[in-house]
Amino acid sequence: MTASLRVWRERLFAGPVSSVVTALIVAAIVAIGWPLLRWAVLDATFSGATRNDCTGGGACWVFVRARFGQFMYGLYPIDQRWRIDLFAVIALVWVALLFVRSLPYRAWVGLGALVILPPLGVWLLGGGFGLQPVETRQWGGLTLTIFLAVYAGLIAVPLGILLALGRQSRLPAVRLISIIFIEFWRGVPIIAVIFLASLLLPLIMPAGADVDRLARAVIGLAFVISAYMAEAVRGGLQALPTGQHEAAKALGLSYWKSTGFIVLPQALRISLPAMTNEFIALFKNTTLVLVVSILDLLGIAQASLADPNWVGMNMEAYAFTGLVYWLICFALSRWSKSLETAGGAPRGH
Amino acid sequence: MKTLSGALLGALLMAGAGSAAAQQLTPSPTLDAIKARGHLECGVHLGLPGFSFANDKGEWSGLDVDYCRALAAAVLGDATKVKFTPTSVQQRWPVLQSGQVDVLSRNTTITFSRNASLGVDFQGINFYEGQTFIVRTAAGAKEPKDLDGATVCVAAGSTEEKNAADWFRERNMKVTIVNFQKNDDAITAYDSGRCDAYTAGVGALAGQRIKLKAPNDNLIMTQLISKDPQGPVTRYGDERFQAVVRWVLNGMITAEELGVTSANVDEMKTKSQSAEVRRLLGVDGGFGAMLGLPDDWMYKAIKQVGNYGESYERTVGQGSPLKLARGYNQLWNKGGLLFSPSFQ
Repeated sequence: MTASLRVWRERLFAGPVSSVVTALIVAAIVAIGWPLLRWAVLDATFSGATRNDCTGGGACWVFVRARFGQFMYGLYPIDQRWRIDLFAVIALVWVALLFVRSLPYRAWVGLGALVILPPLGVWLLGGGFGLQPVETRQWGGLTLTIFLAVYAGLIAVPLGILLALGRQSRLPAVRLISIIFIEFWRGVPIIAVIFLASLLLPLIMPAGADVDRLARAVIGLAFVISAYMAEAVRGGLQALPTGQHEAAKALGLSYWKSTGFIVLPQALRISLPAMTNEFIALFKNTTLVLVVSILDLLGIAQASLADPNWVGMNMEAYAFTGLVYWLICFALSRWSKSLETAGGAPRGH
Repeated sequence: MKTLSGALLGALLMAGAGSAAAQQLTPSPTLDAIKARGHLECGVHLGLPGFSFANDKGEWSGLDVDYCRALAAAVLGDATKVKFTPTSVQQRWPVLQSGQVDVLSRNTTITFSRNASLGVDFQGINFYEGQTFIVRTAAGAKEPKDLDGATVCVAAGSTEEKNAADWFRERNMKVTIVNFQKNDDAITAYDSGRCDAYTAGVGALAGQRIKLKAPNDNLIMTQLISKDPQGPVTRYGDERFQAVVRWVLNGMITAEELGVTSANVDEMKTKSQSAEVRRLLGVDGGFGAMLGLPDDWMYKAIKQVGNYGESYERTVGQGSPLKLARGYNQLWNKGGLLFSPSFQ
């Protein structure tokens, strides 16, 4: 006890300079934190039904409570929301199973998740085949944000790996196509891609050959992110000592075998932090679909500010959505960290 | 071909041969498509207090939304058979041009260049928008010309700033304009007493007023210093559908003028002796058929949505939290500008 106290004292108050710096930082935290705490908790109103119940002068969380369903599910029909809940539970349990290292047939369970979950999600959310159809324009809120990020990610990761391999390929045509694809999509702003996908495509495509608005946004996002993913993977590939390739070749492994069993597993482990970074960026970039009026979490929060009953709740709306985004991004980064250590990532290179 | 048959139709109408004309309707691909798919596609604002917003239950409501419901009731007989596409500022024209929506009802200002160069037509005015001022009621100013010697808060570099400065200069009024970085800062400064007035469009002011500390102590002036009339928009072509869009709006305004409301429409339909009421509600004249609609088209719209005044009061007027006065959005014979051609 006294030992740890001493350690802290040595770290924070080692000399006059460090003491002053510590004191300043503490003062800054208090100066910013105290009003924030008062607004968000002490003076805030948590229960009630209308804005008239908010008399404390602090945050009016009544608004978030009243709109919580919309923040989570958008304008999805209320009596069908169980479908989203059901899919969330299935997906979470399935993915959680993969964390059990002693699970029998773990690789098959993982493959099953990749093959079965995405179409299952589209069916449960979109309906058809026995379920009441729900158009994608009714999807929204956090559901849509996660949908956009996960489905765009599911396309972007494999595409990015292929592009990275393609860029390293010894076949000139493959290499050239990969480079053009990567450089094109990396050079275009995401907001422009989303605009083009949602506004220009319907004008040039023949009537009737309409691709769903949400699908267009997913594909647009996936292409851009795949280019970034490719560069992240390329970093991993280039960091790999050439001895690994040569050893694999010496053992008589073909290109695909040496890539699949020797090169990629190591390269992906190295590039995992960079890929997580890209995924977190993708997750936050999904908010750009707002420009084409797809009501993701941020979009539905903004839209709900237009309800005359809740006009002026800007601080609450943005504070809440910001917190949700932060929690998810933080969880992602912790998860990636645990993967790095669990996978025995080479450190100190 | 189209113009020929249109001219023919016009000639027949002038001859008063209503029923004969019904058999020679100009083709309307939009109306056919709406009937085939069973619902109207309507482009609305993503979120504008009083005009278009999703309520706690996730239902779209507002003045612009109501218009689309009335149109759906007139065409399909059911005000719920409409699907809304929220659109951003940049998106609204492409979604209309590419046919993703049948009609755009999205507080869109009518201007020459939009009409002439975007391939879109404006079918009437459902809201006389324009720039005006909000002042504290206690200060006593009722019109913009009462603001001599006042201080006005505006966002720097905005159209509103330029409009207001020009307007005061032309009238040799000594008004101090205080610039702020953003609209929010300007309205906060007004609320804290830094300025006597804040300026913006009527619709925007209505939404801003309820954010103030004491909304009821503030007055939104009804006199405007700029004209930004707004109304439903269609794309070029399909004149018959355009007529439907135009006359549903006219019908809602006429219904208010004739005293037809959602509450008394049944009684009016059976008992009214007024020739125009009878034509409006489809008792006489066969007006619906001339547009290729059922004769009770306006009856359905008024029964299910209400007349213009009912819709206004419910969404932005006294029945809503916005409590916006009618101002210019009042009937012509009550001091406003709503002046619908008659159902003859």
